[in-house]
Amino acid sequence: MESRTFVLKHKLPIARVEKYWKGLEEGKVYGTVCKICGAKYYPPQVDCSKCFNSEVEWVEISGEGTIECFTQLHSFPQGFEFVGKPYTIAVAKFGDFKVMGWYEGEIPKVGEKVRIKTGKDETGVWKVYFEPVG
Amino acid sequence: MRVGIIGVGCSKFGVRDDVTLQELAFEAVKEAVEDAGISKEDIEMSVVGTAGTRSYELMPAVPINEYCGFAGKGPIRVEAACATGSAAVYTAYSTIKSGIADIVIAIGIEKMNEVDTPTSLAVGGRSGSYLWEFHQYGTTFPGYYAMHASAHMARYGTTEKQLAMVAVKNHRNAAKNPKAQFQKEITLEKALSSRYVAYPLRLFDCSAITDGSAAAILASEEKIKELGLKDKAVWIEGIGYSSDTANLSKRVDYVGLKATVEASRMAYKMAKIDDPVKQLDVAALHDCFTIAEIMAYEDLGFCKKGEGGKFIENGDSDFGGKIPVNTFGGLKAKGHPLGATGVGMVYEIVKQLRGEAGELQVDLKNYKGLTHNIGGTGHFGWVFILGV
Repeated sequence: MESRTFVLKHKLPIARVEKYWKGLEEGKVYGTVCKICGAKYYPPQVDCSKCFNSEVEWVEISGEGTIECFTQLHSFPQGFEFVGKPYTIAVAKFGDFKVMGWYEGEIPKVGEKVRIKTGKDETGVWKVYFEPVG
Repeated sequence: MRVGIIGVGCSKFGVRDDVTLQELAFEAVKEAVEDAGISKEDIEMSVVGTAGTRSYELMPAVPINEYCGFAGKGPIRVEAACATGSAAVYTAYSTIKSGIADIVIAIGIEKMNEVDTPTSLAVGGRSGSYLWEFHQYGTTFPGYYAMHASAHMARYGTTEKQLAMVAVKNHRNAAKNPKAQFQKEITLEKALSSRYVAYPLRLFDCSAITDGSAAAILASEEKIKELGLKDKAVWIEGIGYSSDTANLSKRVDYVGLKATVEASRMAYKMAKIDDPVKQLDVAALHDCFTIAEIMAYEDLGFCKKGEGGKFIENGDSDFGGKIPVNTFGGLKAKGHPLGATGVGMVYEIVKQLRGEAGELQVDLKNYKGLTHNIGGTGHFGWVFILGV
């Protein structure tokens, strides 16, 4: 037998980090820095987990980064069937920030240099992309 | 006051479309009660560990408790992703230590095959930090460990062949375990020619999607004496726990799990273990993916950082090696029903330390064993040292 259909779709309350999502639409990737203790955050957050203050400065993460780890997915989770082919996720380091993103290309190398950019996938979700340098 | 394990049970792991969640729990609970040789009525509280979401029963502790005859005795439901079972055992231990109860049962259970594979992959992938990982990038659980594999291979030269050797060893052990999901050996060639699930991890680098349950009955030392079960008890001699950031982008590196390092240090200190390989007879490690077992050798101090690949290659983790690891087949081949996994590890080590592991029995010198249970990619970490 099958159960009754049960659809779960959640609201995402992004009001306090709206600058990040707006930034992606403008081609910018933002992290936050605590104005009191200097702790750096990516993904950005507006409450400091270290000193418990809530005054942060938004800083742009840009330029060249270095890939620290990656995977190329061949088995897709529900919600990502639209991609239709293997996609590559990497974490790259840009100065003091590490950022997750989709790698544009086949199989990257750990240590490879990439440039950060933003874009929108077919379902309209904005995200970070890494473009191989050179 | 010490706390001991007086009874253990474990269901057959695999695709268990033949039973409901409640019926599956009953299999392990009944075996554990019979194993302890006590009456079900002697149990004062029940802890139900299940990660949940993949089963139609969304708040399963009460239905399970009702079916197993424990209505009114708890339940406490715990969740710690793939380390849920260890959190359940810890909760049972703490309840006894606090003096609230003398006999507590920890039930670990998961039914993962009630949803399809893409849904199961999504549940796993959403278990990091949803908004910043899954929502944007479609992460999956194999993907998280594959990212660690890519970093470990780049830094230490760990090879796909070494990863596959973990799968071959664990399948060889599972072949002799009638409760394992995959009771069959595989060849290195078969593992190395299987398709990629999440590069660089292939199908045979991954644990499967498993249904299963396990149960452990814990009791205070006084109660154990009173019941005349002192010769049978396996004592919890060390407990260690830790965790790490939800977001992978906030980790220092990707070549090991800090939660394993910290949890093992705490457990070793409590159990007075200075040299784990020499002082332990057997270990059940969290090999949800082959790279996880290799990183665990290193992070638990079985070998130096970066030498995990050599450790499997040399046969150091096999029967007759320095320390037999995953003697019942590991998560890889025995199966990985999330909530049941940590309790299943306790089941394995208790059976080994009592000398009841049959064909899979290790040589006992120190009469001590270890369980290592990770939730997520080091999002939770638990280490227990058991001894008799």
